[in-house]
Amino acid sequence: MTRVFTKRPIVLVALAAILLIAAACAPATAPTAAPAQPTAAPAQPTALPAQPTTAPAPTEAPQPTTAPAPTQAPSASGNKVISISYTQEPNNLNPLYSNQWFMYNLQDFYLATGLITFNDKNEPLPWIATEIPTVENGGITPDGKVITFKLRDDVKWSDGEPLTADDYVFTYQMIMSDKNTVASRDPFDTAVEKVEAKDKNTLVVTFKEPFAPWMTKIFSHVNGTVALPKHILEPVFQKNGTIDNADWNRAPTVGIGPFLFKEWETGSHLTFEANPNFWLGKPKVDQIFIRIVPDDSAQLAAIKAGDVDIGVFISPSDVPDLEKLGTLDVAKVQSGYKELWNFNLSTDEATKGHPALQDANVRRALVMAVDRDKIDQELLYGLTKPALTFWDGMPQADPTIQPIKYDPEGAKKLLDDAGWKVGADGIREKDGVKLKLRYATTTREVRKNTQAIVQQQWKEVGVDTELINYPSDVFFNSYGDKGPIATGQYDIAEWSDAPNFPDPDTSRWLCSEIPSDANPPGGNWEFLCDKELDALFQKQAQTVDANARTELFHQIQKIIADKVYWVSIWDDPDLWTISKKLSNVKFSGATPFWNSYEWDKSQ
Amino acid sequence: MGRYIIRRLLQAVPLLFVISIIVFVLIMNMGDPLVSFAGRSGQVKGKDRERLIRQLGLDQPIYVQYLVWLVGNDWMKIDVDGDGIPETNGTRMGVLRGDLGTSVVTRQPVIQMIMERLPNTLLLMVTAEVVIIAFALFLGITSALRQYSWYDNIFTGLSFVGYSMPVPLLALGLIYIFGVYLKRSGLPYFPTVGMFEPSAGKTWEQILWHLVLPVATLSIISIAAYSRYIRSNMLEVIGQDYIRTARAKGLMNRTILFKHALKNAALPIVTLIGLDLGFLMAGALVTETIFSWPGMGRLFYDHAVKSDLPVLMGILMLISVSVVFFQLLTDITYTFLDPRIRYQ
Repeated sequence: MTRVFTKRPIVLVALAAILLIAAACAPATAPTAAPAQPTAAPAQPTALPAQPTTAPAPTEAPQPTTAPAPTQAPSASGNKVISISYTQEPNNLNPLYSNQWFMYNLQDFYLATGLITFNDKNEPLPWIATEIPTVENGGITPDGKVITFKLRDDVKWSDGEPLTADDYVFTYQMIMSDKNTVASRDPFDTAVEKVEAKDKNTLVVTFKEPFAPWMTKIFSHVNGTVALPKHILEPVFQKNGTIDNADWNRAPTVGIGPFLFKEWETGSHLTFEANPNFWLGKPKVDQIFIRIVPDDSAQLAAIKAGDVDIGVFISPSDVPDLEKLGTLDVAKVQSGYKELWNFNLSTDEATKGHPALQDANVRRALVMAVDRDKIDQELLYGLTKPALTFWDGMPQADPTIQPIKYDPEGAKKLLDDAGWKVGADGIREKDGVKLKLRYATTTREVRKNTQAIVQQQWKEVGVDTELINYPSDVFFNSYGDKGPIATGQYDIAEWSDAPNFPDPDTSRWLCSEIPSDANPPGGNWEFLCDKELDALFQKQAQTVDANARTELFHQIQKIIADKVYWVSIWDDPDLWTISKKLSNVKFSGATPFWNSYEWDKSQ
Repeated sequence: MGRYIIRRLLQAVPLLFVISIIVFVLIMNMGDPLVSFAGRSGQVKGKDRERLIRQLGLDQPIYVQYLVWLVGNDWMKIDVDGDGIPETNGTRMGVLRGDLGTSVVTRQPVIQMIMERLPNTLLLMVTAEVVIIAFALFLGITSALRQYSWYDNIFTGLSFVGYSMPVPLLALGLIYIFGVYLKRSGLPYFPTVGMFEPSAGKTWEQILWHLVLPVATLSIISIAAYSRYIRSNMLEVIGQDYIRTARAKGLMNRTILFKHALKNAALPIVTLIGLDLGFLMAGALVTETIFSWPGMGRLFYDHAVKSDLPVLMGILMLISVSVVFFQLLTDITYTFLDPRIRYQ
């Protein structure tokens, strides 16, 4: 065959050269010449009060000092940009329409109209409300049914309209309107009787019964019921009959907060620009850039390459690698979640658990037989340890609760005393019943590894285990959808759960929540009905005074710890990475970006 | 020929109906339609669930829901306030009148969402397709002409490697080599994610720079496959008698190659490319996800996990129409390439 392309090698070399030249000519990511910084930085707001106590004593709302006019024009926008990587794209930007985590925490940037916010210790701070209402300062009536909020009078929407109580009343009306397909009306449909604006800066909420979780559920960033701009959305509602399809839901150009919405290119990114008229002073950073990076490994690569400054939901196995880089810090943010064991305490024929679990001493022995600290060291790189109570990291946690220590000999003794004697095959038995437990969880790798370790350690004390794994969409199905846990097809189940963080309220142990044919969506999957515990839970939901409520929770935690109704394998904080170039970045588990106006970045 | 085209187009209409019904039924059974309203707990419960199901029309029987999707519900009454009595007119006009509906997740009209992403996907896929065709032709033809030489053997080996490589592995490998390690050692590098850098803005330079790695990922695997295919076709054609005749007549090699051999070897390639073109709009899911390229593949996946019926139906119908159209186009192209093929 004669040669057709004598120039062939040159072609290949030319192609390779073109590729390399293209890469070399790539524009530099860092701006080549940083414009001069303005000499007069905007004045710093006085720091938020250092010691808000658990009883919300009236704390001083943050006071903006007067910002001197900058002597030099501010540097070009886009100069200081903090980029955050999100693994999920927000559904839309109207918090009424979804409870998606990736969506509602953006409100801290552009729709910061919540009455109360939470700091990095998850303590409440007044935000738009000038002080936290209590019975002492008259904000809450003695019967707990009426709460009055005094609003700041210096907050304006970005188009100059002032924020008033009417915006909050309008939001309430939108939530309750049948014409809007909002994600949830909770708690306005069940607990609230009416919402009124007594005057421009006074908002009065009347409840049907005293409602303890009001701080996190009434016009709060935590559940996304913050005030919408009435002057923008009411005309839309009147014209279209609904605000479902309002343009504002996708492009909230009118907002309140340290960073205002600039643009959203779907699938790619969102940008927020610093608000020069923010009532606590202009933020130090010019722009926040949210980059959508749906793949976990790609997010990791971007973090390592320094293409993003803040990363979220990092998995524990990546942490040692990231810390070795030396260019970032890994922050553990408590968001209420604990990896826990549920015991099936049902005695009903269809859903019953192993009879041994009815004995609190057996439950205690099962926990004593497992070295939970070792599991956390090996599987979670020592990043966390078992939580002591369901409310660890919250003001209501009882500090006197003692951990159950790893003690296999003590476990064997407890089991012997309870009548479960070791049989010929090494497995304990009593009255002809073998102590073999069904241990169920999802298919996550770290959970499967935990199961393997537990199975082995239980074998050493004579307990046999059957390991079961379900995909998570099956695992979490309700009783009505024949979910395996909700229908009691387990003895011990492991997953991660939280109270209604940052409110301590939870309904997972209420007798009325036991799932059954009469109550298919019931959430009490331990089938537990302890009258004393139930009474305490019902009482705390109506105890508006924070101190009294904490006291009730201490009693609750003592009962749970005594009777070993629940145990934690490990505490499940969210893992964030923060580039070392950033300063003042503190995350709250409840309202993550609460102090974004204080963030700074060195170049 | 004209009659043939019209007949094909008429056949396409019932075909698209059948496709839409099958896809609709499949999507309806796919998962919890309210999953996008839920937060970290993953489920909407109780009164909110009942209300949302009623407001979104999900309590209707499946054929009613399909009808609403097809022809809208502004000619019938729906129950807005939950008392069980339909009293308000609906607002949807249905696909046949051009209303693809509104996404349950983002509240945007589906057409708008698709139009936002389509240019990005086409940019990626068309570039990849051009690169694939160019390189596959080049490698396939030159390999065939030098059968069993060292050149051919090397590329055969590389083809097997490239073809067996899973897309995520290739994509992440390229990201790490060109995005992380090259950057660390100060050499010219490529970016890891996205379509452009925020600080530099969305310029053509930026987009081209960000386009290199995703296109490379898509191309390498397909080039490996197509070049093998072209090579074997070329080998078959080159061995034919008429090529030997042409050479005996003393024609230049270049003429033999392009005028005689390639045209005949091209037919199966045209089939492959025709099939590919139909699916260009579907994007490349895995590549777009790993490189965070805002395209149609990701749009589909993101909304599939959220069971967003209007968007999924919109995208799938678009792809169906595209495939049917490009199939027709391919069949017509055959008549130009191969005079033996005629349609009535």
